[in-house]
Amino acid sequence: MGHKYSLNVVYFCTGCGIIEVPPSITARWDAERFGIIPVATPRQANLFLITGYVSVKTLRAIIRTYEQMPEPKYTVGFGSCPINGGMYFDSYNTIKHLDKYIPVDGMIAGCMPRPEAIFIGVTHLWTLIDKDMADGYKRYRRNYSAYRANQERVLGKLEWPPLFPAPGEE
Amino acid sequence: MESMVMHTIELLVSPLLALLIGIFFLGLSRKIAARIHWRYGPPITQPIIDIIRLLSQKSANHGVAFNIGLILSLAGSLTIVLFLPLGRIAPLSDSGGMLVILYLMLIGPLGIAISSGASANPNASIGVSRKLLLSMGYELPFLLVVLAIMTAYHTTSLTEMVSVQQATGWAIVSFPLVLSGIAYLMILPAMLGVRPFEVVGAPQEISSGPLVEYGGPYLALATLQHAFALFIGVSLFVNLFLGGAANPVFFFLKMLVVFSLGLFVNAVFPRLRIDQAIRYLWRWPSLIAFAGLILVCVTGR
Repeated sequence: MGHKYSLNVVYFCTGCGIIEVPPSITARWDAERFGIIPVATPRQANLFLITGYVSVKTLRAIIRTYEQMPEPKYTVGFGSCPINGGMYFDSYNTIKHLDKYIPVDGMIAGCMPRPEAIFIGVTHLWTLIDKDMADGYKRYRRNYSAYRANQERVLGKLEWPPLFPAPGEE
Repeated sequence: MESMVMHTIELLVSPLLALLIGIFFLGLSRKIAARIHWRYGPPITQPIIDIIRLLSQKSANHGVAFNIGLILSLAGSLTIVLFLPLGRIAPLSDSGGMLVILYLMLIGPLGIAISSGASANPNASIGVSRKLLLSMGYELPFLLVVLAIMTAYHTTSLTEMVSVQQATGWAIVSFPLVLSGIAYLMILPAMLGVRPFEVVGAPQEISSGPLVEYGGPYLALATLQHAFALFIGVSLFVNLFLGGAANPVFFFLKMLVVFSLGLFVNAVFPRLRIDQAIRYLWRWPSLIAFAGLILVCVTGR
């Protein structure tokens, strides 16, 4: 129950999708009814909303932010860009499939999705949490070496040590 | 034997009541702010849900000083609660009085400062320096207010102040002390750390300040400390100026009125800068509190 009704979203605007977040947390749509509030630091958050396209530079910050969040943590891709690149499908500088680099629990399609779509996404996330299917953080732990290899293929050598030890050397 | 049992029960009940009231105030503040913004707002139990969620998480630890500072600040706040009369429940208040509370009030900010200093985050350092500056800002008028009260009633004991006020009328409606009461009301938002003086935990500027590296159970403990701090600030005002209360229910109602006043200010005001806050605190409330102290000394009760 605690995890379901107390989703703290990390303030992190990757792209244009963040413009849909202020209406949904202020008077018109009021996400605080459901216990959803934006917090300023990843340590206090447990929901990561990737709002909009992900450039190579942002990916580095996204990974660091995601790894700082305490478990259990949920990631939701917002808009079509994190799904398959969206309108930036042929850009040299944009990450096309976000779920290769960090685990994503759900996607909200649309360009832009309306604030109502955020709430539909949240209620869907609730069902996933109830059924224990929002297990992105477990997948990240299990397949960390594969995710890390994907990250290093795009970003080059990462300057921070691995979050989890490799399977053999525990 | 009978009194010994009662004393033990009071020692257990008083922090528990303080915790419940503090958490209720946290929930109420979010609800009232939401209603003033024309929103529906979270359920009033939202802080409890948050604390349950935070306690079930596991977050990064930043060393021994990080833990010790947090526990120190929580322990300091808990100890103050034991010295505050809460209606008739006053476990330790006849043994220390106002002077002990004045000493102990520094431990809360100091513990948080040690703890978040150990996390070595630049935002936390800025937040801590602002927190200590702000407490320097409100300690001066607060000391003047407390001096005026102690001079007027010729005592340092909170229980005696409460009983005198219940016999002769509240301090806030008696002549020289009304100035001190106004000064206390003016610094109350700074003591509670709410909006015009929310410079410490400013989420948009410095990523919630000292709490930037707190997650999971550490944030839960910091939230509890905040709840205690709210309780202490408001209940000191009720004890010093509104004559305490005969039982905890009336005490709670008086606290509710004072806290709602603070909330209305919180919901509509923007945030001051730290230099504006210090300038305000050392000018108007200090001036009024000083005038109150002089008048109390001259009229000489």
